[in-house]
Amino acid sequence: MRSIILIIVACVIAAAAGYGFYRYAHEGAVASEPLPTGLQLSGLDGKPHGFEEWRGKLLLVNFWATWCTPCLHEIPQLVKLQKQYAARGLQIIGPAVDDPDAVRSMLGPLGINYPVLTGTPDSMIDIMEKLGNGPGGLPFSILVSPDGLILDRQLGEFTPAQLTKLIEQHLPPGPAQ
Amino acid sequence: MKTAALSLAIGAALLSGMAAADGFWPQKDGARNGASRDLLKADEAFRLIAAERDGKVLKLSWDIAPGYYLYRKRIKVQALAPAGARLDAPQLPKGEMVQDEQGSAEIYHGSLQADLHWPSGSAAPQRLQVSYQGCAEAGVCYPPQTRQIDVIDLSH
Repeated sequence: MRSIILIIVACVIAAAAGYGFYRYAHEGAVASEPLPTGLQLSGLDGKPHGFEEWRGKLLLVNFWATWCTPCLHEIPQLVKLQKQYAARGLQIIGPAVDDPDAVRSMLGPLGINYPVLTGTPDSMIDIMEKLGNGPGGLPFSILVSPDGLILDRQLGEFTPAQLTKLIEQHLPPGPAQ
Repeated sequence: MKTAALSLAIGAALLSGMAAADGFWPQKDGARNGASRDLLKADEAFRLIAAERDGKVLKLSWDIAPGYYLYRKRIKVQALAPAGARLDAPQLPKGEMVQDEQGSAEIYHGSLQADLHWPSGSAAPQRLQVSYQGCAEAGVCYPPQTRQIDVIDLSH
């Protein structure tokens, strides 16, 4: 009887240890996967663009729209981060799931300092789905490594602290203060 | 023999713990990758149920999932058939007022019914094009949805 109890206790401890080890090993880890190739977007001037253009940069792709209130709330922090981290290799781009005229009208008021792209609603939904956004909502962001691996994806707004931590984690160290 | 059985049981328990962690533990601190799995698609969040005509009134109804809402100002209805059919602006119930980055807006939760009328002398609409747009309370908005729907005539 005593040995059965000991075995049960040992198993419980082992299960807890396994759970804890997994948590420890995966804390902060990211599931990297290659960015799908051949995804085409358009600039507001109608010129085609592919994500490959920004290879070599830490690329934050933020899908947004003028009708999306959380997107409009998030953009000022993206503008700030683009300015703050551009020299260290961060490039933000903002594909808009929206009418190009509506997008143009918001560029000034939002002070967007990074490339804004567009596409037909169907093509944008398709691209977002290929990038892991099953529900098709906005804002939707992916962080892509300089060599084209998806490091993170987020449906909904990032908090400023989350985003700063994520960017700092993947950029080379800045000059000593 | 006893030692082997004990080792096997402990090993199995260890693996079970890791498997449990794999299923329940978020992929990384700060990321809300789970949100993508938990959120509904637009068609599930905002179900356009029916367009029913009873006499001179056409009723259009939605079932909005808990945790989601539709914007009043983004609801548009257009008559597609028969040719020449027209509709007055939809009559919508009073919604809930909210304030956001784009000012104040009226939104709907739960069930929503719009009453539609058409000008006298105009044919009763038989097919509609309906546009609407909404968001999840979780802070995610969906692109405008446009659907075509046949009108069910309840007066026959």
